[in-house]
Amino acid sequence: MRGVAIDKTGVHMSGIASETIDGYVLIRLSGEVDLSWSQQVRHAVLAALESHPAVGVELSEVSYIDSSGIAALVEGFQNARARGSRFALVAVSDAVRAVLELARLDRVFLIISDPASLGEA
Amino acid sequence: MKLAHSVAPPAAARHAADAVRTLAFLADLSQAFAVSLDLRKTLPEAITRVADFMQAEGASLFLLEPATRVLECRICVGPVDMTGVRLSIGQGVVGLAVAENATQIVTDAATDPRVWRAGDEASGFVTKSLLCAPLGTAAGPIGVIELVNRRDGHSFDAEDAEMLRLIAAPTSLAINNARMANELVEQQRMKREFDLARKLQKSLLPKRRRGVFPVLGVNLPAHEISGDFYDYFELPDGRIGFVVGDISGKGLDAALLMIRAASLLRWAGKDGIAPGAWLARANDELCETTHDGRFVCALVGYSDRDGNALQFAGAGFPPALVYRRGAFSEYASGGPPLGIMAGIAFEQHEVELNGGSLYAFSDGATDVRDADGKRLGNDGVRELIKRHATMAPDARLRALLSDLKHLKLVDDTTLLLIEKPRAHDAQVLLEHHMPARAEYLRDMRNALRKLLDQLGIEPALRDRLVLAVDEACTNIIRHAYGGQGAGGIGLRVSRADDVLSFELTDDAPCIDPDRMRPKPLGECRAGGLGVALIDTVMDTWHVEPASARCGNRLVLRKRIEDKGF
Repeated sequence: MRGVAIDKTGVHMSGIASETIDGYVLIRLSGEVDLSWSQQVRHAVLAALESHPAVGVELSEVSYIDSSGIAALVEGFQNARARGSRFALVAVSDAVRAVLELARLDRVFLIISDPASLGEA
Repeated sequence: MKLAHSVAPPAAARHAADAVRTLAFLADLSQAFAVSLDLRKTLPEAITRVADFMQAEGASLFLLEPATRVLECRICVGPVDMTGVRLSIGQGVVGLAVAENATQIVTDAATDPRVWRAGDEASGFVTKSLLCAPLGTAAGPIGVIELVNRRDGHSFDAEDAEMLRLIAAPTSLAINNARMANELVEQQRMKREFDLARKLQKSLLPKRRRGVFPVLGVNLPAHEISGDFYDYFELPDGRIGFVVGDISGKGLDAALLMIRAASLLRWAGKDGIAPGAWLARANDELCETTHDGRFVCALVGYSDRDGNALQFAGAGFPPALVYRRGAFSEYASGGPPLGIMAGIAFEQHEVELNGGSLYAFSDGATDVRDADGKRLGNDGVRELIKRHATMAPDARLRALLSDLKHLKLVDDTTLLLIEKPRAHDAQVLLEHHMPARAEYLRDMRNALRKLLDQLGIEPALRDRLVLAVDEACTNIIRHAYGGQGAGGIGLRVSRADDVLSFELTDDAPCIDPDRMRPKPLGECRAGGLGVALIDTVMDTWHVEPASARCGNRLVLRKRIEDKGF
């Protein structure tokens, strides 16, 4: 167990994928977001904001998120606000919502329940 | 009916009067049976009533013994006592009534070939007429009711036969009810005896020692009562004696032998004699008194107070296993089981554990079956021990038992664990070591989540506790070690009453506790969130130097609802 090299995007089904829906670049996260790859999340979010005026982070498949993962989302939010871009959290899983509530950040983000309604946001 | 009437009433009126009288009699009979389930009381009375009602000189009741299929006369009223007479099915009129499941009428006993005459020859009584009706339930025949000679000198007729058939029904029912009631009483009596034996057995198991103690045992009976036992006790010189045993066979008599063997082994070890001599003494004593082929497998020995220097000997017991830093050593029994042959010597082992653990387990542990019915065996047990090796002793035994329970338990299972006790008053539930690198956080979270689930902590709180501990580790990796990827983190979860403590130790340079200040939550900023989360989730937390030179200890505490775990 201890010796298994953990592929940050493969072995444990954790990962980042992105697609474009209704003018949003949608970054899909899955698995457990922790210190081991939250920097990659941060880079992905900031890179998307660099080239797109609207970025969503889809979180329905995220079973765990720590403060470094939350920090990446906070940074995305701040970055978007500075640029005048749109930034939303999409389909937030219960696990993520619990941590957002614990950090009292659940009212800070624009949260969209369904990726299909991104166009209206 | 059979009364002599001086003036005969019209036939229709006579029939109506008979019917009323019959119904009244059947009601009275049922009532008499309902009064008590004690057949010894109700049946003789009922048979006397039947004889009177039917105007017979004698009446008797034969019951069929289910095991032997013999009909025995249990109740007899009248001039000849037939009680105790035994007939096979088909023998005599009584036997025929059962064999053919039909009423039998004998109008002339002197010439009827069906009649069994031995009774008459012995008593001088003259049987003239007989009437027999079978008694039965849905499950089959249970006996026969027989009438001898009508008092008016006539022979029994079809009307009498019909009447006796009616009487047979409530009689069968009453006998059947009483038998079922007796079986129930017998079952309850046995259950009481088993309960008593189980209580007695439980009272023999040693009380758990609070605080620092090197010996720990668990017993999981496969059935109501166990044939396994364990014991430990303190000697005046400070050593701790331990015993684990397994009685051959199952059931109440094995349980009673277990109670005797447990007392005997405790007595034999109280003097602190060498384990080999201890077993020899118990063996000689058992051989003198045990002759029914039962025997006792046992392992006995002493541990020093530190759970390091051990001395032990086995008698037909599975080999003791010592697990030390990933490797096993095996120590076989030094003699045959106890209670077979007197005068035997038992070889003993002396072992220094040096940080290892000794496991002694009854063969119930290796006899456990998997889904395919395959024995777990010695290798399987080793695998389980290895899997849970990092857990604290209590939690480890619980985890081992829980794994065994998920497999199929075919025998009683007992585990005894001896190791150096941890210098901590609290009950240690988990010890987990990880390199101070982010990719090992996940394993830590899984181990912690599993433990909290075992403790019955509800999921929302469990997730918050896992998050807080994860944040603490993240902090150590990033700030104490500076993200260098070197060094390790130790997590120890312990419980004292209803407080869970999560203790994280590292060997990084001492940090300035003032640097670990929680920032206010709700602020939209990327830094300082981790400590704020810890602060929110936990009741208290503090950081202190682990030793004078370097290292930190971060202790998080949370009071939880005691669910009695």
